[in-house]
This record gives sequence, C-alpha cells and structure tokens, in this order.
Amino acid sequence: MAIDTARVEKLRRQPIDGQAMKRLIDAGLTWLRTNQQIVNSLNVFPVPDGDTGTNMTLTLQSAWNEVKDLGTRNLSEMAAAVSKGALMGARGNSGVITSQILRGFSRGVHEKAVLDKETFVKALCEARDTAYKGVVKPVEGTILTVIKETANAAEAALGSAKDAIEILEIAVKAADESVKRTPELLPVLKQAGVVDSGGKGLFFILEGMLRHVYGESLETPTMSVQPMSAMNLQGAMEEVEEGQDYEVVVDFVPNGELDLVTFYGKLEEMGTSIQVGEGEGMYRMHIHVPTENRYTPIDYIMEIGTVTKVAIENLLAQMDDIQKNAQIKFAPVEPGNIAVVVVSPGQGLSKIFASLGVAAVVAGGQTMNPSTQDILGSFENLPTDKVIILPNNKNIVMAANQAKEVTVKNVQVVPTRTVPQGLAAMLSYLPDGDVEAIAEKMSKAMSGVKTGEITVATRSVEIDGVTVRDGQVIALLDGKLVVSAESVEQGVKDLLAKAEAEDHEIVTLFYGEGMTHVDANRIADVIREKYSNLEVELQEGGQPHYQFILSIE
Amino acid sequence: MGEETTSLGGIHISPNAVATIAYHATLQSYGVVGLAPKNLADGIVSQITREPSRGISVHYKEGEINIEIHVIVEYGTRITSVADSVANTVRFHVEKALGLRVNEVNVHIAGLRISDTD
Repeated sequence: MAIDTARVEKLRRQPIDGQAMKRLIDAGLTWLRTNQQIVNSLNVFPVPDGDTGTNMTLTLQSAWNEVKDLGTRNLSEMAAAVSKGALMGARGNSGVITSQILRGFSRGVHEKAVLDKETFVKALCEARDTAYKGVVKPVEGTILTVIKETANAAEAALGSAKDAIEILEIAVKAADESVKRTPELLPVLKQAGVVDSGGKGLFFILEGMLRHVYGESLETPTMSVQPMSAMNLQGAMEEVEEGQDYEVVVDFVPNGELDLVTFYGKLEEMGTSIQVGEGEGMYRMHIHVPTENRYTPIDYIMEIGTVTKVAIENLLAQMDDIQKNAQIKFAPVEPGNIAVVVVSPGQGLSKIFASLGVAAVVAGGQTMNPSTQDILGSFENLPTDKVIILPNNKNIVMAANQAKEVTVKNVQVVPTRTVPQGLAAMLSYLPDGDVEAIAEKMSKAMSGVKTGEITVATRSVEIDGVTVRDGQVIALLDGKLVVSAESVEQGVKDLLAKAEAEDHEIVTLFYGEGMTHVDANRIADVIREKYSNLEVELQEGGQPHYQFILSIE
Repeated sequence: MGEETTSLGGIHISPNAVATIAYHATLQSYGVVGLAPKNLADGIVSQITREPSRGISVHYKEGEINIEIHVIVEYGTRITSVADSVANTVRFHVEKALGLRVNEVNVHIAGLRISDTD
C-alpha cells in the first residue's frame, strides 16, 4: 500500500477545519464499517454487547447522519454536531463509550475554528477524561484503556510533533499497540485468545482517518484474519467441493510481517475454503485442496515462515464418518407426546437408545459430564412440553435435576445411574399418557437390571476387600468394585460369577471404543459356552474408557 | 428458586448474595455513576450497614428471580442504551455465577449526575 505523498503534503498545508473534520469522520466510519465483522468476531461475552462492531458502526453512522449535510467550516460547530448525533444513536455499551469519547473530543475543540496540534491533543485528552467519567469502576483492557493510552501518547508527543497529522500518526500507532496489550490486562480476553473488540473498533476509526490522509482505500478490508479461537473449522468441512479431497491445517510463525494480500493470492491458486487465524503472533491456515496438491500449502508456508504444526485430513473419509453419525434416526416427536432425552457415552449406545424411541441424545457420561445447559439444549427445541430425562450416570443425575428446575417444561428425571438401567427403563416407555405415571413405571423397570462394567484401574488401591494394581482390569457390579483380573476376558468371567449370572436370563455386552468386534465376539463366545442357559447378546457401545458395559437381566 | 437440592443436602442462595453480584455488575456498566437507595428508610439502613445491596432489590417469586436496580447515570450518555446495557450485564453475571435463570431485570433511573455541561 503506497502512501500518496503528494496528497499528504497538500493536506498538511491546509488547515483542518469543520469540512476537513467531516471528511475524517466519514473515513473513520467507512473504515470501521469495512472491518465491522472483524470487530464483531472479537466478542468474548455471549450476552452483553454481543455485537460491538455493529453497535459502534451504527453509533458513528448516527453521528454522520447529523453532519452529512452540514456546511459549516467551523470546527467547533462540526464537532458539536458529531457529538450530538453520536449521543442520539448510541447503541450498546461500546456505542455509549464511543459517544462519550466524541463528546469529550467536541468539548476539547470548543470555540476553535481549526484543528492544530495543540487542539488535537487537548481534544484527545478531553475524550479520555470524559470517557472515564462515565463509569465508577473502569475495567482496564477495554476501549477505555485504548483511548487513555492513545491520548497519553499524543500528549507526550506534543512538543516534538510538527502538526496535527503527525499527532494522528502517533495516535494510530499508540492505539494499535494498546489494543495488542489488552489481553495482558483482561484475563478473559487472554483465555479467548482475542484482543478487546471495542478497543479494536476505536483503532479502526482512527486508522480510517489516517488512511484517508494517506489516500489509501477504505473499502477493502486488508485484514481478513480472524482470531484463532473464532475459526470455525467444523463448519468449513460441510462445504466440501468436488476435487477438494484433503483438508490441510498449518500452524506457523511468519518471518516478519505476513503480507496477507500475497498470502491469500497464493492460497487461492491451491485450493478453496481458505481461512486464516491469528493469535499471539501465531497464525493458523486452513484450506481444502485436491489430492495431488496436499503438500503444496505446506511447502509454500515453509518458505515464508516457521511451520510448527501440520494436520492433513482426508475429507472423503471424514464425510463418511459424518454420514455414519447422521444415520442415527431419533424418534420423531409429536406435539403433546412424551419425549425422552438420554445421556449416552458412545455412538453405538446412542443408536440403540434411538431404536428404543429416544428423541434426543446428549453426549457424556463416565468422565465427561454434560452441563445443565447441554441437557437443556437437547430438549428445549422439541415440540412438546413433556420430557423425561435419563441421566444414565450417577454424576449426571444432579445436572438433570437442575435442568428440570430451570425449564418451563414438565420434566421428569428417572434417576438411572447406568446405561443398562437406562435401557431397561426405556422398555417401559410409552409416548402417550401421563408423564408422571410413565416416569414412575420407568423408575421401577430400571431396578430390574444389574449393571456390570469392565475398565482398567488407573491407580493401585484397595476397596471393599479387593486389591487392585495400577493397570489391572477391574470389574464393577452396580457401581461397586467386585473383582480385579489380569485380562478383560477373565474380568468378564469373574464379574458374571459375582453377579450370579446363572440365575438370570439375558446378558447383553456393549463393547467400548477400545475393543474390536472380533475380540468382543470371542469373549461373548466364551460366556455362551460357560453359561449354556443364558442368552448372550453383543452390541457395539462405542463408549470410551470402559471395555465392556454389561446388562444382566 | 434460590433453592437447590443435591444428594448431600440443600443449597439456599439468599437474595442478598444475588444483590451483591448485581451490585458489582452494575457498577462496572458504562454510564452508571452510582446506585440510589430505593426509599428513605433503605437509604438510612444502607448508610448504617454499608451493605452492598444499596439500590438493588432481589425477589424470588414463584420460582423466578426478579431484580430491581435504581441507578444514577452520567449526564450526556444515552440513557436507554445505558439501562439496556445494565440489564444485560447484570443478567449475564448473575446467570453465570448461579447457573439459574433470571426472569426480570428492571432498571430505574433515579437521577443524573452532571459533571460537565456542553
């Protein structure tokens, strides 16, 4: 981007009067609007001020509407009108602060006809002071910090700067640096890997003014880089195009400043679905490429920086997976029906639950407990107000009860503590009728089943008279440790002996993600041989950590 | 609401605790320069006790949380935007801290502070 030096020289000779100020406001607004989505993408709070970029743009737009037909050459009058317009249109928290900044600015140029360097610095300082007056407990690391540090830098440079344009250059540089420091002051920004959105918006306004002076374009965003945390790689996958078979993600640190225009240009020659993210000097590049080009982006990025991590994935295989997941057919819910929502630890178990008439599944269990919010989200959009939740884990019963408290729907929690209990409860489920009565029937049904679990001990311990070494296979019966063994097969055999399996009728084995079907089948055969009167079923459960979950009826 | 039953026993969250969260959230909201006592008696009590619930009242009604906030706003800011932002911020912080849904946040502008006139 070349600076038009002749233009800058010409502008330097002209005094900045009301009309020049108006053009600067227009430039600030245009540049902010161009980069609005970038500012929006920096939001960390889902609720307050969920759209900073839009709010600031609308506030400044309102200021512009107030002055666009104003012919005055007087700076003071122009600034007062800007201030009034911003006040009237202030939207959201950041919009209110922006209007206060403009109000302070207007006060700083009071009764001045032109913006010289002294007036400019005074106006920035007034903007800073007015902004801080509006809040009792200023939070640092926000737009407030940015206007403060910008004004301070301008104040410090007043002696050495030769004119107002140089003050603007200093202000833009200071604002940029201040924005980059915001994550150091506000931990929530650092966690999210972003800079403050309002501060960034203020920077764009100032930078837009400077770009106008330099004669640079205000319409094309130069920075189509998003914060790394905002990159939606999951969503990008859905739009797989013909011939774009591989997804390549490269993390890298560029040698010096990354020239985005060239970078994007090169990537566009290689593939599609390009996304670039940035966080703390690290960049992440995402692209879809045809098979023969899968190494090209990596080779290219190695030329311009240091590659720290590369991930290549076969999209066609991923698509297969997605289709596999999509195969789960949940029971359709008619308005007024009773819908059942279950927590399921594995893909296979989810399918089985779905085949039994479950309307929705929340992934979780064992070591990954879903939140109340996850559970709420699973049934809030179902077209019925009668819901039964099966938590299927003793640690999730509480979250399920909380979901019941928070929603307006009539929710019953059947406190199933294991997956087999949940499956047993499902057998008593009916979609029509009185939700309390059906929940009670399901609660009764769940106690008719014994649950066995096979997993590997993660530490050495002695509980209930059973001694376990780290790494040994252990078996739990209805949540209690009953036996330790050297192999999964031995563990299953011992567990069934403890459960007095010979007095039961059906044993169903759900094998986990660590087991192959062949191994699981072999163990099932061993049991069939040992208990000839038992009906032994084998199902893919897909749960993590647990080699087997057994239902003994 | 404000009551929860766990396997270990009950949890009760007092309206005062909710008010304290709302108080800090309100004071961090841009444009708010202070909270105002709801009435004279409340003003005297809060002067004596220094409790951080001045200007804020929390009611549980039929299992829902309702919050009333009486604020003083900086003159020269757009009052509706400030009030909106107070309501959003308070709701967000209370819901985040307690995990319970807030039904209503009502913001009353009790007065304006004039630091400068233009």
